[in-house]
Amino acid sequence: MIAVEQLRKSFDGTRALDDFTLHVGAGELFGLVGPNGAGKTTLMKVLSTLLEPDRGTAQIGGRDVRTQGREVKRMIGYMPDQPGVYQDMSVREFLEFFADAFHITGARHRAAVDRAMERSGLTDRTRDSVEQLSFGMKQRLVLAKTLLHDPKVLLLDEPATGLDPIARIELRQQLKLLQAEGITILISSHILSDLEDICTQIAFIGGGRNASDADGHSVIQLRAPRAPVRVYEIELIGESASAESIVNAAGARLLESGAGRMVVEISGADEQVAALLRALVTGGVNVMRFDHRALGLEERYQRAFGEKRT
Amino acid sequence: MNPMIRKELRQRMRERRGWLLPSLYLLVLGAVVTFAYFVTTSDGARANNVQGSTVGVVLFLTLAYAQLALLLLMAPIFSAGSITIEKEQRTLGGLLTSLLTVGQIWWGKFVSSLLFVLLLLITSLPVLSMAFAFGGIGPWEVFSATVTTVIVLGSVSALGLYCSSAFRRSIHATAVSYAMVIAISVVTAIIFFVRLQLYETAHVRSGNGVAYAGWYSIPLDVRLPMYLNPFFFLTSSFAPPSELYPAWATCAVVFIAMGIISVVLTLRNLRHSGDA
Repeated sequence: MIAVEQLRKSFDGTRALDDFTLHVGAGELFGLVGPNGAGKTTLMKVLSTLLEPDRGTAQIGGRDVRTQGREVKRMIGYMPDQPGVYQDMSVREFLEFFADAFHITGARHRAAVDRAMERSGLTDRTRDSVEQLSFGMKQRLVLAKTLLHDPKVLLLDEPATGLDPIARIELRQQLKLLQAEGITILISSHILSDLEDICTQIAFIGGGRNASDADGHSVIQLRAPRAPVRVYEIELIGESASAESIVNAAGARLLESGAGRMVVEISGADEQVAALLRALVTGGVNVMRFDHRALGLEERYQRAFGEKRT
Repeated sequence: MNPMIRKELRQRMRERRGWLLPSLYLLVLGAVVTFAYFVTTSDGARANNVQGSTVGVVLFLTLAYAQLALLLLMAPIFSAGSITIEKEQRTLGGLLTSLLTVGQIWWGKFVSSLLFVLLLLITSLPVLSMAFAFGGIGPWEVFSATVTTVIVLGSVSALGLYCSSAFRRSIHATAVSYAMVIAISVVTAIIFFVRLQLYETAHVRSGNGVAYAGWYSIPLDVRLPMYLNPFFFLTSSFAPPSELYPAWATCAVVFIAMGIISVVLTLRNLRHSGDA
């Protein structure tokens, strides 16, 4: 749904994006993680047609953001890192204006505004001035505005920044619901635990480039309901050649191998894991350790960016 | 209706200055016209047997120039902060990622800025009717002066919107807009008079003397800055219809061209304002 290839964007000679590549499948809730100045906001602005890339391509739903901006705008909902509101409008007027701005007319107009109010939980505050809303409420209002035209893709730049814990939980729940509706979501955030809780995949970005964790992964699969992918670390005694062939025969993917140690990726349910272990043991491999390697996102982030910071 | 226009007008009329500025404007304009009336009909003037039509002409001219001066001061207030406010409250990104085109955004801002200034122009009609009561002026003078004022205000508003698109903060955009208004209203006149003096001095020294036979006897390069001057533009509009060309027509072309260039530059800035 989102395809970014070798994207480059410079500001006054400084490369904010430097041949960055990203692929986000339909229906994903995809997290973008990186330190300040990594290029997350620039990427979001390029994808939302606000900035033109210097080089490379960026497509949303097969439409090029540079040449098919209008079609892209119909498909996306963009929420910037510091979303702005018109303080002197009422909640309803704010949503009505953006419904007009997205050319939603007739019966759809009222329905879209009513739905947005419900989504933002502001139904009982329609006449209130936007100025009277709390920061969290304003964020919800802006998210509701972003959803007015039923976008297929949501681009959320640091949406949880400044929110209190309750509002963050509510936002996470809302994003899960939106993903369940089939909306593809690309979200950038500094709050790693939030991303870990909701995202299906995470990509690292640093210095405008694709960054990778210590295992060399620039994209991390966190969850995929149909075929969970897990990584296991196996320690064994003796030569590992026979173990490698058993691993391959069992349909697992060998990520690392050598010196009595292997790292394998197993796709599927627990039965697949048990079958691999059984195959190794019955195949004569002396397995000393068979551990699920569950690196937390914070640990992966630290491995990717921690050393560069110190 | 362009949603931008509806939004802008709604927001403008909710602001305190939405009613404060028209009130102040009318007060100042009323005071100027009253002052002009008393000066014209003072004892000394009465001694010269001032005609009612003369009072009407004086009141009308005073009103027309005072109105233009006041509106030139007010136009940047409405236009120069128009786009910067969207940047300051971080709503420009929302507009640019909606299905509104940059042209629609510009048009909404322009129409709302201009409509508010035109509202001021309309509110001055009762004051203008005072001049009518004395006679001496006809519908043509009122019409040509109004059209000229509207062209000037349209260009100045477009110029203000350009400043608003070029700067991030309203205060900077407004300051530069005022500098531009002063440049076209005052600096052009100063340049003209200085050059005229130099021209006269040069001719007197050469022993040729200076004998002007109207505006067009002044060399073009000396006259040139005045075609950018809104007050000269207004003055040229008082000519009979047959004499509008070339002075009024040249000014009109210059102001419209200035407006069009401002529009083109503003649209370009808006298209590239994603990093704002």
